Amino acid sequence: MRFPKKKRYLPETADMFRYAPRDDIAPWLATAGKAAFDRFAAVGLPSSRLERWKFSNIATILKKYSADPLVYDAVSSDPHVRQGQADAQEAWVRELVDALPPNHEKYGDMALWDLNTASIQDVMVVDIPEDMIVKDPIRLDFAGKDGAFLPARLIIRLGARAQLAVIEHHEGQGAYWRNHVTRIVLGEGARLDHYRIQNDSPAALHLQMTAIDLAARAAYHGFTLTEGASFARHQAEAVLQGAQAHVAFNGINLLKDRQHSDTTLEAEHRAPSCTSSQLLRSVVDDQARGVFQGKVYVDRVAQKTDGYQLSNALLLSEGAEMDTKPELEIYADDVKCSHGATTGQLDSEPLFYLRSRGLSEQEARHLLIEAFVGEVVDQLADESVKTLVTERLARWLKR
Amino acid sequence: MIRIENLHVEIDGKEILKGLDLTLEPGKVHAIMGPNGSGKSTLSYVLAGHESYTVTAGSVSYEGKNLLDMEPEERAALGVFLAFQYPVEIPGVQMSNFLRTAVNAVRRLRDEQELDALAFLKLAREKMKALGVQEDMLKRPVNVGASGGEKKRNEVLQMAMLEPRFAVLDETDSGLDIDALKIVAEGVNQLRNPERTFLVITHYQRLLDYIRPDIVHVLAQGRIVKTGGPELAQQLEAEGYAAFTGEQAA
Repeated sequence: MRFPKKKRYLPETADMFRYAPRDDIAPWLATAGKAAFDRFAAVGLPSSRLERWKFSNIATILKKYSADPLVYDAVSSDPHVRQGQADAQEAWVRELVDALPPNHEKYGDMALWDLNTASIQDVMVVDIPEDMIVKDPIRLDFAGKDGAFLPARLIIRLGARAQLAVIEHHEGQGAYWRNHVTRIVLGEGARLDHYRIQNDSPAALHLQMTAIDLAARAAYHGFTLTEGASFARHQAEAVLQGAQAHVAFNGINLLKDRQHSDTTLEAEHRAPSCTSSQLLRSVVDDQARGVFQGKVYVDRVAQKTDGYQLSNALLLSEGAEMDTKPELEIYADDVKCSHGATTGQLDSEPLFYLRSRGLSEQEARHLLIEAFVGEVVDQLADESVKTLVTERLARWLKR
Repeated sequence: MIRIENLHVEIDGKEILKGLDLTLEPGKVHAIMGPNGSGKSTLSYVLAGHESYTVTAGSVSYEGKNLLDMEPEERAALGVFLAFQYPVEIPGVQMSNFLRTAVNAVRRLRDEQELDALAFLKLAREKMKALGVQEDMLKRPVNVGASGGEKKRNEVLQMAMLEPRFAVLDETDSGLDIDALKIVAEGVNQLRNPERTFLVITHYQRLLDYIRPDIVHVLAQGRIVKTGGPELAQQLEAEGYAAFTGEQAA
């Protein structure tokens, strides 16, 4: 008996796309885009046979979005990278736009990254020189409108000992597809606080890949609030290249209706004495589904690694679902790594205790849900983000 | 006036209260004493409305209303308060937030004006001072990391803030050393008044040396088997519960 061969990629999905750069686009970008498109077209989109796409079937979702066959191309809209546009012409920017992230060979699931490179119209660059400490956070708004394909590329580089906070704010109206890439390079001793507020439209498809390189003693503090989009996936990978670097991926999922939110994280330790932590709190209601795939990879040279992963999910209804897959891959012998995952409902005893003091069942539930995500909220270093998240949570609970 | 008649209660299919009759008079302190497993805690949970306990027969009338028909929060609004034997730890919920929400929920249901942050703090500080509760407790998560004595004092503080008309104290003495016991008992005594009925549930007579009861009931095998004055407590302390459980004294 023959079984049909299960494919890890779906080359036929490449037909949905066309490489159509503008005439006045910078030649280097046209070249990089074409190469990326060819790589993409050879494989197509990942199927759920690919391990890191196990819980998120993008091809099925796209069918729902596309009228047959919908073709996406580089939309001719400003701003875009033209000849002579100074910032984006810098050699290092060109290099970063062209290159794949350091660990692409290991996983090979760079289809969406390539697709992003192939469709770049605009490179947003934030470059902070050595020793510069930026006090106020930079807020970047990424809008979305019905019918759009949004391949934004954000590049953040911090020189040695520089400090910065960036807030990525994703919002929009109607059904659109965001295929976003954020590339971050941190110099020695630099610190970046990277906040993502994902409040995309309820009909939107939100895909983001974030790749971070850290030099020695650099620190990356990432936070994501996932509240929007009907289908969302954030794949973030940090490569700790220098000793004593630190990575924290924190997140809160607030999911309802039939939302799907996939958080796929990896901390790759390639130097000794680095620390990484992943902490995700998910509140899942209705028929929504949350996914957490967290990985800590420890190279043989990365002794004294401290890696930590924890996913806690609160299911508020019978139809709600959470899939968690924590993973450790360790080649060094002197490391401390732990991972854990819990999925459950609100405890009945605290609920009763609160109600016996006069709180309505709803008030009691809200208080306990706030407490559940509170640990992540409390860790937010930026007060404006903390206020924003607290307000969004209150609104979500009262919906 | 609280009237409990022929109360049968089970949990996980096992009958614990087997036809309990009890009448509590307004403004009085009633004590219920009984051996382990007699149904003391079951009675307190049923009065507060815990959903794990199933009432299979009987009634509880509270100020002319059917208490058993009400949600826990409705009972609280009508003035029922249970001081838990094991106060629940709630990580992440700040005591001040919890207490203010509770006070205002109850005030709202009683058609009283809600307290703003300032008025709440003033009231809380006043009550905490009287009970010797550390002020930083308001900033801490509810009961988390608190000692047995702190938790029980916290229960009495909540009672003082919510001003119930019917307070049930479930083994408030358990886990307390003598100094903590005195403080907690003093807190309770400050709240005694002609409009407030207390039901003090305990295994030992010790607590009743500090909270003097008006009436003492003996609970054994799911029923009230004897009712008397304060002297009954002393008699039990001297003779044990054997006479009521049908077992031989050790």
